[in-house]
Amino acid sequence: MMRASLLSVALAVALACSATGAAAADIEAGKAKAAEVCETCHGAGGNSTSQDFPKLGGQYPDYLSKALRDYQSGGRKNAIMASFAKPLSKQDIENLAAYYAAQPPAVAFKP
Amino acid sequence: MKRTMIAAVLLAAAVAAADATAQGAPAGDPAKGGEKTLLCSGCHGIDGWRTAYPEVYKVPRLGNQHEAYLLKALQEYKSGERSHPSMRAIAASLSDQDMADLAAYYAQRGMKTAGK
Repeated sequence: MMRASLLSVALAVALACSATGAAAADIEAGKAKAAEVCETCHGAGGNSTSQDFPKLGGQYPDYLSKALRDYQSGGRKNAIMASFAKPLSKQDIENLAAYYAAQPPAVAFKP
Repeated sequence: MKRTMIAAVLLAAAVAAADATAQGAPAGDPAKGGEKTLLCSGCHGIDGWRTAYPEVYKVPRLGNQHEAYLLKALQEYKSGERSHPSMRAIAASLSDQDMADLAAYYAQRGMKTAGK
């Protein structure tokens, strides 16, 4: 009985890990990567001032990571974003999404 | 002198054409856009709402996003260039004017809370 419950806990942990597919997001690492790759267009803290580049600050992290994965796979087509997204690792994507989600938008979002 | 004039006119025409292409859409009216959010607010109007198909994630926040980006997103959903079943169906039902109005509406939404 004890062994069975231990086993199920281990299984649950394994499932949880595989579901997320990446270690916990690291906001500081995301910030460093953002400065290197994203900021030129998307602005400081993701508050882009150009109409051509969407604002990212304060956006939902799972939406941001999905967008990056779609740019990687080609499911979402944009030549510029494809070239920036392709070199990113799964961990980079989680880190960037967490970083931008944590940035205050220049003006508060309303849903 | 005459050649310079012609060049200037051609340049002005080219700039105007480029501008028209960049816009390619009627001007958006945020007030009218605000009356057209019926199809949007069921998901985008609920903070933290998750789309469930084909993938689970929170639908993006739209308030205070750039108008040109919002318009482009709607146009791409309508053309099928950007794929999401619900967004494609909804965008397909919108006219160019509807999309321009909605983009204008969401771009200015949230501005009133600046500084809060």
